[in-house]
Amino acid sequence: MRVNPDLDFIKYMKGAGGDTLKNCYQCATCSVVCPLSTDEKPFPRKEMIWAQWGLKDKLVSDVDVLLCHQCGDCTAYCPRGAKPGDVLGAIRAYMYTHYGFPSGLAKMVSNPKMLPMTIGLPAVIVLVMWFISGGMHLPSSEDLAVQGYSQFFGHWDWHWLTKNVAFIDAIMLPAVGLALYSVFRGVTTMWKDLEKENDVSAKFRPSVKQFVVDFIVPSVKEIIDHKRFRECTVNADRVRGHKPLVLAFIGLLIVTIYSAISQDVVGLFVEGMHGPMSLLNPVKILANVSAIALIVGIGILWGNRAATEEQNGVKGSYYDWFLIYEIMAVGVTGLAAELCRLMGIPSLAYFMYYLHLVSILMLFLYMPYTKFAHLVYRTMAYTFERYRQSSFVK
Amino acid sequence: MSKVFGTYICSGCGIGDAVDMEELVSAASGLGVVAKTHEALCSAAGRGLIQADVDGGVNTVVVCACSPRVMQQEFNFGEDKITVRGNIREGAVWGAEQPSEARDAATVKEFTTEQAADNVRMACAEAKKTELPVPFQLETLNEAILVMGGGIAGLTAANEAAKAGYKVTIIEKADQVGGKALGWAKQFPTKAPYAELEEPTIGALIAEVEGNANITIKTGAEVARIGGSPGDFSVTLKPAGAKSEWDAPAKVGVDEQDRIEKGTMEDPNVGIKKYTAQNPDAEKFGSVILATGWVPADVSGYEHLGHGTNDKVVTNAQFEKMAKEGKLAGLNSVAFIMSPGGEEHDMDFPYANSVTSMVALKQAKYVRENNANAKAYILYQHMRTPGHLELFYKGVQQDDGIFLTKASVTAVEGGTVKAKDTLLGEDLELDVDLVVLAAGMEPTTKYENSINLAYRQGPGFLDLGLFDGYADSHFICFPYETRRTGVYTCGGVRKAMNMEETIDDATGAALKAIQAMVSADRGVAVHPRSGDATYPEFFMQRCTQCKRCTEECPFGALDDDAKGTPLPNPTRCRRCGTCMGACPERIIGFKNYNIDLVASMIKAIDVPEEDDDKLRILVFACENDAYPTLDMAAMRKLSVNNLIRVIPVRCLGSVNMAWVRDALSAGLDGALLLGCKYGDDYQCHFVKGSEIADKRMENIGDTLSSLGLEPERCGVRQVAISDYNKVPEIIEEFVAEILELGPNPFKGF
Repeated sequence: MRVNPDLDFIKYMKGAGGDTLKNCYQCATCSVVCPLSTDEKPFPRKEMIWAQWGLKDKLVSDVDVLLCHQCGDCTAYCPRGAKPGDVLGAIRAYMYTHYGFPSGLAKMVSNPKMLPMTIGLPAVIVLVMWFISGGMHLPSSEDLAVQGYSQFFGHWDWHWLTKNVAFIDAIMLPAVGLALYSVFRGVTTMWKDLEKENDVSAKFRPSVKQFVVDFIVPSVKEIIDHKRFRECTVNADRVRGHKPLVLAFIGLLIVTIYSAISQDVVGLFVEGMHGPMSLLNPVKILANVSAIALIVGIGILWGNRAATEEQNGVKGSYYDWFLIYEIMAVGVTGLAAELCRLMGIPSLAYFMYYLHLVSILMLFLYMPYTKFAHLVYRTMAYTFERYRQSSFVK
Repeated sequence: MSKVFGTYICSGCGIGDAVDMEELVSAASGLGVVAKTHEALCSAAGRGLIQADVDGGVNTVVVCACSPRVMQQEFNFGEDKITVRGNIREGAVWGAEQPSEARDAATVKEFTTEQAADNVRMACAEAKKTELPVPFQLETLNEAILVMGGGIAGLTAANEAAKAGYKVTIIEKADQVGGKALGWAKQFPTKAPYAELEEPTIGALIAEVEGNANITIKTGAEVARIGGSPGDFSVTLKPAGAKSEWDAPAKVGVDEQDRIEKGTMEDPNVGIKKYTAQNPDAEKFGSVILATGWVPADVSGYEHLGHGTNDKVVTNAQFEKMAKEGKLAGLNSVAFIMSPGGEEHDMDFPYANSVTSMVALKQAKYVRENNANAKAYILYQHMRTPGHLELFYKGVQQDDGIFLTKASVTAVEGGTVKAKDTLLGEDLELDVDLVVLAAGMEPTTKYENSINLAYRQGPGFLDLGLFDGYADSHFICFPYETRRTGVYTCGGVRKAMNMEETIDDATGAALKAIQAMVSADRGVAVHPRSGDATYPEFFMQRCTQCKRCTEECPFGALDDDAKGTPLPNPTRCRRCGTCMGACPERIIGFKNYNIDLVASMIKAIDVPEEDDDKLRILVFACENDAYPTLDMAAMRKLSVNNLIRVIPVRCLGSVNMAWVRDALSAGLDGALLLGCKYGDDYQCHFVKGSEIADKRMENIGDTLSSLGLEPERCGVRQVAISDYNKVPEIIEEFVAEILELGPNPFKGF
């Protein structure tokens, strides 16, 4: 291997939460405590020296980096304060930027100095769309109670697509589309890199169905079960936060799908599907429970991280906190919008709803580049791990 | 001095219960000495009993109680009194065996009493033969210190000795003092947080030394020869590199002298004054500090690394020079190679240690400080950063552009470094502008005598090959010492060390040099028998010029005249007694330790006749390790066979074979020499004593055979001071061998 370290990469790593990486002196205590480590692959000792040497190509194609779920044992036992767990987080942050498309957007999102732009862009998009829609008005309390936010972007009489849905789709669908494309592109590139780096070459490929049933589904099950999280000792508390959060996202996904189908499909034929649901509607109950679970879950993770950082006297990384703030923003603005609506304060309600839209847009649009991307990349890493141990490869 | 004896036997510490005290008293009276008993001699009452007798005129006190290694102040009745200790507590009672079926309690008590009684007899015999020492005094004492070498070590030693009030002369070969440190671009950090390199301090040290009126600096000069002895060294200086008739002569031994006389060998000392010649112009010094330092090792022998053939490969010394001269421009990447072994082994370059690790870290910093985009690679097998310098290592690691990995460097080809077994998990190829090899620091004593003594045993230190040429005594626990009394070494000549270590080392050497002069002044020995006022005295009329003493003295204390008669230099002597052990004419002895004294102790042992169970085995136990080990075994109540009778000796080297013959002809059944480990990893406090004793015992085996005695009756065993749990077994085995052989056939003659 001909090596030429990349000094800029090391600088990036230090800025992205891996500021301790140069402390490592390769004693391999981390590899002794890490359940992912094998005799051939002393993880994360080797990743630490690759990071020190600025070998980014080796790191972005390292499946172990994604299989790591930051239990923190390595950091706790490190005799030299190199915090391998945090360094691995920084490597993942770099990976998402590396595989992110378009790279300009990825770089903007990962750069703390660009935060005003990162927030400003979706804020302006929603605001501009609001202006364009001409629906710029505040409803009366009575209207708000009846319509909810279904006329935020105004109203037209064309039956087949409400104006509001049209504008929301216009904002969100391109964002989701871009995110999905970016993630797909990133994941396929990564998959190729992983195959190359791990000398994985399949003699015959599984069908899509086989791939989903045999590899993706078990991986997702394992993730939802939080099996690996529970192996953690130092950071075991995180399960209490992460699990409600994951379930909340699943709940909200169900609600969103239900809502899309009921309003945009069934609502075309059946009157009265639009407007706010009754609080006693089972779907609404699921939505509210999920929202609270989301806020509680992210709140626990927030508290854990803040406590750890204070205990260790370190400053948190932008990469970690961005996602925490963002999810908190989604949860809080959503719940606030609902409460304001129920309390009948139109101005505040609309403002909250606006913020909610902005935060959701951020969540979708930036998913491939923020820590949120682990949702996809880590799932694919689990899948890759199953795949490479399967009969297709061996 | 006419002796008035006072003999006291203690019954405390369990002695009174374990032995028949009356037997001990009668043992003393058997040698014509009246003994008093007391239940605790070391108590105020016990000492009062003795003191009252001393006040009443007793001047030779025999205390039969605990080991002479304890209660030394309690039983000190003044320097003008002779005090002899008989060891009956550790030497008999505490090491007694437990009653068993084979031996009931009464028999054990009988055996223990006999052993204690013999110890009382030996103490009384020793007291009779012991004389008060009269310290040896030089006619004139010189209290100036010669420091050879004007580097950090020499300058510091001179500075410290001068601060203590002594005159010092520094001899430096080069045109200016300062040594290697003059070439350092930067120094290792010396203060918290140990992160930043520091500016060289050598200039300040030079200024301080030059400004000290007690220090004379002679540059461009070197030592031709050093004759004399501590307190009275005669030093002839000469211009550096010149030849002189006063150069130190090479050693010419007995065999070489024969060959020179027969014309089969050229005299190596043609044109050089004999070693005993006195130069009237020589300068006088009291002690010498050797601080001639080190030279960078030649690493061109490692062909795969290409030093000397590849112009991109330099040594750390060359790189330091480049840095000092500001010639680092244009360097974008530099690889530092710490270990040359390739795939064969993981050792660092020879003569490298933590200093070379630190230098690589320091020089990597140079690369980075010179160019913010530069990269420095350190390929190590061992990163040694002792003590607080670990913090420096941590600090250097923080640098984004310094890359470290363990690696076996297999080749340097052009600007490409190839390495295997790296921490990166793959073989490595690095393209660099320059490769720096961490060459070691070879002591000057590896190549030359350096010290240039005009001694009979030759101009250099002996057996430095054991220490890879370092002028290090490797006396256990005793740095600075050499096998030449009054000559102390410090700095790079002793070990590869950094500046801070060197400064500590040089300070220690300065204190040792002062101590040597003060001891010479008081007429007492230096380490390891510090304060001993006796010294070997020769009855020259009976000397046969056999030269054994001059050859065997581990410290080269004895010169000789043209006929071979020894010329003692008592201030060079460490009082081990090896000369006494060597002398076939038995003409060498100390006031309190001599042939006659020990022979009398042997004769004092009561040898029962015609009792096959009560054999007597004499043990000569070295005072340094073996005797304390026996004491320790007894303190832990480990049973030590009570057929042995122990005589402590200064060193096994001082055991004269006459004693062994005396013992066997007196009817004792065996003789065992118990001393320190010898050989390359010797632990002998006098370096050669136990080894010499072993050779002598081989020879006496032949003599015994010719007399019809089994050679197995004599043995030598090695013990370390920590072997207290093994020593009972060692003795048990030897005793069992003697019991197997049966009683000495000479018994009763």
